[in-house]
Amino acid sequence: MPPPSAASPLKRHANLVFILGLCAASALACFALKGTEGLVSGLARARDLAAVMLPVILPALILAGLVQVGVARERISRWLGANSGLRGLVLATVAGIATPGGPMAAFPLVLALAAGGADRGALIAYIAAWALNGFSRILVWEIPVLGPEFAALRFLASLPLPVLAGLVARRLPGWVGAR
Amino acid sequence: MTLTALLLWATAGIGCLWALRRDPAMLRGALAHTRTSLFTVLPIIAIALPTAGFLSELVPERVAATLFGPDSGVLGHLAATIAGACIPGGPFVSFPIVLALWSSGAGAAQMVTLISAWSVLGLNRVILWEVPLMGWRFVLLRLAATAWLPPLSGLGAEIILACLPPDVLGR
Repeated sequence: MPPPSAASPLKRHANLVFILGLCAASALACFALKGTEGLVSGLARARDLAAVMLPVILPALILAGLVQVGVARERISRWLGANSGLRGLVLATVAGIATPGGPMAAFPLVLALAAGGADRGALIAYIAAWALNGFSRILVWEIPVLGPEFAALRFLASLPLPVLAGLVARRLPGWVGAR
Repeated sequence: MTLTALLLWATAGIGCLWALRRDPAMLRGALAHTRTSLFTVLPIIAIALPTAGFLSELVPERVAATLFGPDSGVLGHLAATIAGACIPGGPFVSFPIVLALWSSGAGAAQMVTLISAWSVLGLNRVILWEVPLMGWRFVLLRLAATAWLPPLSGLGAEIILACLPPDVLGR
């Protein structure tokens, strides 16, 4: 799946430049504060992290690819549009988790549904679920960088929250969020 | 290779078999996506790893442990919420930073809060994407309905961690 960064070659390069700058700045700071020893022990940490991460990158990205082709956009719209009540919020949460890709994939969908008069509780639950627990971000970034155990902990802890956010959104006064 | 890595490989294998049985073209499409994201992610990870290493050298052990340590309580979750909201950029920036903090003494539950705050409140995304597309009023509604979720996710993580044997998520 294209991570949020794959919008255009230009944007992808901007990401690389940014992280390169961060890397150079932190290396320089390390050297200035702790000398060569600091650089060496920073690289040693990097090596330990790589040993943990590298074995899981490929399967995580294969799973992300499967999610990307397995979930049709039409199905996501259907999950979001059709239901009200608690069931609607739960379906919106599932749709948010399943939506692959970055902001340019999720927000236009929300915009179209909001214009079509969808329940705002469901829209909020959808955005919250996509932001907190979007499956493709978990697979592409979180599992490789922080490990499957951490990803599972965060996923479970955040799972019920979008429904709560949807319930709150339905109860907020009408002028908030009026278009 | 750890047990979880094996489990992930097994899941990916089963997923591929399932796709192959349904439609070989689907599997090809999925693997094409995998290849694309591999080429996007690998160079970034190659730079992000040393960055995380250097950053965790820079973060004094005591700062991460005091601000976001496993025993920092509600204040730690509030600090993590604020820090998360301020981290700029996409996952290629935030996850290495979280990794650096975590490996220099921050608690797992506090890092859950931090990632949630970055996801939900990330000012970067709000300004670049959400306001232009959705308008201020909608963003106001969304923030009012979701701003309190990050510390809640961290507290949920505390509860889950309390039910697990110690050191499952130690670093």
